[in-house]
Amino acid sequence: MKNTVLRNRYTLLLTTLIVYMVVLVAEGVITDREVRRVEFENPYFDLNLNDLEEFRERRNNNSNTRREDGGDV
Amino acid sequence: MGKFAIFQFYALLRREVQEHRNLFIGAPAVVALLILVASIWVITRIDQQQLAEGLRYVSVVFDGLSPFDMAPFFMLLAIPFFLTLFICSVIYLINTLYQDRKEMSVLFWQSMPVSNLQTVISKIVAISVVAPIFYVLIIFAMYLVAMIWLTILGITHDVDLVGIGWMFLAAIVSLILTYLSAIVTSLWLLPTIGWLLLFSAFARKTPLLWSVGVFILVGFLEDFIFGTQYLGNWVASRTADPNQYLIFEFSSLFERIFDYDTLFGVLVGSILIAGAVFMRRFID
Repeated sequence: MKNTVLRNRYTLLLTTLIVYMVVLVAEGVITDREVRRVEFENPYFDLNLNDLEEFRERRNNNSNTRREDGGDV
Repeated sequence: MGKFAIFQFYALLRREVQEHRNLFIGAPAVVALLILVASIWVITRIDQQQLAEGLRYVSVVFDGLSPFDMAPFFMLLAIPFFLTLFICSVIYLINTLYQDRKEMSVLFWQSMPVSNLQTVISKIVAISVVAPIFYVLIIFAMYLVAMIWLTILGITHDVDLVGIGWMFLAAIVSLILTYLSAIVTSLWLLPTIGWLLLFSAFARKTPLLWSVGVFILVGFLEDFIFGTQYLGNWVASRTADPNQYLIFEFSSLFERIFDYDTLFGVLVGSILIAGAVFMRRFID
């Protein structure tokens, strides 16, 4: 077995990649892995997409109000 | 570990630093110099009265505040250094074992009482533990120059810089957080380190092309053989969010290190590093 794996660089690379793939796939099956990002509490870089959406809506409302007032066309 | 083994390992680390001075010291020094020159250029453009106002604001904003609370703001200044370290690490890891074979120095090192495992481990320690020390020292030198410069500006503009001591303390705490972040990032990205080292030890030519090409191929193969996309999912979940490996508070250090995903990454990285160690026995 050892001699087969270490016969040349290609068999070694293939064995390493097979072990790598099998471990990843087995872990994926066991934990039912999906794209998941671990959420750590971090007060400095919170990005809430709802806030951005709200900000955009508020900006659109403001520009519409200005247009209605005849401020800028 | 005996005294001789420690000396051996120290010699290996020293060799790495000496052979890659540009990546370890030159690159961050250039970034620090560029930041200082850009800051000087910006300050010379500001009106003197506005500059005095700005100095007054800076002097009071940090006064009396805990350096531990303010340190994360200084970590923003370390972002260019993090990016530089990341780029330098990729260049170093993909070339290091390949270069050893190309210039035949691998024969010399294999004739020495040093194992392949020790050599590969020394390369990982050099880039993930030793290189960040140089980066942090250069950032410290940059902060020191900036503080001296701020003091001189304060004296010339007749501004009492009461909070500069607190600011400096916050900067020092941020350096510790930066160093810890660099080490946790190395653990988090250990599979990437192992992957690059494996192809650095394997490829006869263009190791970067091999590593990228095989990475894409393995993704397709997984879909083809197993009908799953766990590899892609795994990579996506590890690379997208820097919050997963940057440390902004000391209390979160153990949470990051002993996290399941970090430890599983260490396991996968170890498989690839073991491949790189065995691969070193094949010399062209």
